[in-house]
Amino acid sequence: MKLIVFCLFTVYCCSLVKASPLERKKLQEVLRELKMLKRDLPNTELMMNTPPKDIEDCCCLTALTCFRETLLEHFGISGKYQKKLYKSLNHTLTINGLNFCNTETSTNNCSTCHSHPKEKASEFFNRLESLVQRGISRI
Amino acid sequence: MKPTRLLLLLCLIGPVFAIEAPDVDCLVINLKYVSCTWNKKETPKVNYTFYSSFFNKEKKSCPQYLTENNMNIGCIQPCESGDRFLTFNTMLVHGNDSFKETHGLKNRVKLNPPTNLTVLNGSDFNLWFYWNHTSPARLHCVESEVRFRTNNNKWEFSKVSAGIQKYCINSPSGSSRYELQVRNRIDEGCGSSDFWSDWSEPVFWGSNNSTDSDSVPGWMTFLYVVGAITLMLLVVMLLQRERLKIILIPAVPKPSPILHDIEDWFQLSRGLKENFKASYNEQVCPVREYNYISQSDSMNSTSSVSTDQTDCSVSIDVNDPEDLYVPLSSSSSQVPSEEVQQVSD
Repeated sequence: MKLIVFCLFTVYCCSLVKASPLERKKLQEVLRELKMLKRDLPNTELMMNTPPKDIEDCCCLTALTCFRETLLEHFGISGKYQKKLYKSLNHTLTINGLNFCNTETSTNNCSTCHSHPKEKASEFFNRLESLVQRGISRI
Repeated sequence: MKPTRLLLLLCLIGPVFAIEAPDVDCLVINLKYVSCTWNKKETPKVNYTFYSSFFNKEKKSCPQYLTENNMNIGCIQPCESGDRFLTFNTMLVHGNDSFKETHGLKNRVKLNPPTNLTVLNGSDFNLWFYWNHTSPARLHCVESEVRFRTNNNKWEFSKVSAGIQKYCINSPSGSSRYELQVRNRIDEGCGSSDFWSDWSEPVFWGSNNSTDSDSVPGWMTFLYVVGAITLMLLVVMLLQRERLKIILIPAVPKPSPILHDIEDWFQLSRGLKENFKASYNEQVCPVREYNYISQSDSMNSTSSVSTDQTDCSVSIDVNDPEDLYVPLSSSSSQVPSEEVQQVSD
């Protein structure tokens, strides 16, 4: 019995160790897809609800949701890179990688997506890029 | 009218006496502290008090000032590695004046140069270089650049991907001297920094004697000089001594249409010529030939056949008719080619 518990515990610990590189690789994939999308889209003057430059640790997942839904609303998923990016932003590994909230603090204090001021598309993508880079640098 | 004029005068001269807003320039050093300076344009005329804060964090006064000529020109403010993604607010205060600025520090990072740069001769006969970085950045966030040179020649540069802290030089030359340095910065995936770190301390490998590929050792120069002098002496001797010249460079015979004595063609030396002539004398040994005598004539008498050789001692007795034939034989001694053969009837 003790041996079984020990083996299960070892497997659990190993799964935790392996998770970090997977999350990092997923976030790096998001960056690549974002780069391709920025290159493909013309220099658009489109204005979109954009989360702020400074996002609190416990509001990062809320900001991620805002980025994903705004992307869907304005660009859809018809394009090749739009579809890929949307799927990656919705992936479990991406969500886990950008979850910086270590405390039990409620996320109710985080601003809603539509309350964010509108910014140009270029600024929208730059802030999404910063959020993902912040996640990669922490893993 | 007077207050209006006074007010106008104050508005005109006021800006002359107003303090110009200092320009604060901040840089994150090694992801451990922020270094801000405000003496970029000119040395400040007054001593400012510096305050700073990251987004949503407590405002702090400067724990350590940088000074020049007893004037505060900058501040060192400790920070955490992830703070660079947040807006950095600064405030300079002097009396009633305060100057606020906001800074984006994500890309304004300068790491310390790599440390512990070592070189190892691998089992694959390649040269391996290893180093470490001292910042709290994750390994996959740090990319490096290597430069190396051979025998103090031109530098060669090479990028090393993030997460790798080693470099290899294939099949190094044992007679060359290698020098290598490395520098690093934050990788693009983690918010790339605009500045490379300084170059690390160099590491060397190889022979010290071959520091300069163009220089020739002293003893080699001496040998070259001696060899050249010897060659010149030989040439001079060759020209001066005819005999030596003839031996070393014999003259090629010139063929002529007039036939001369063939011996002269070879132009043999007198000594060599005489060697071909026989130096011994030999007495001529005349030989007589005897004809066949019929048996009826010879039955009564025993004929003896003999050769009359003056110095020869050969005599032949013939008792048997078969012995009648006396072959013409020469003496055992050699005779000159111009022998006279005497045949008697």
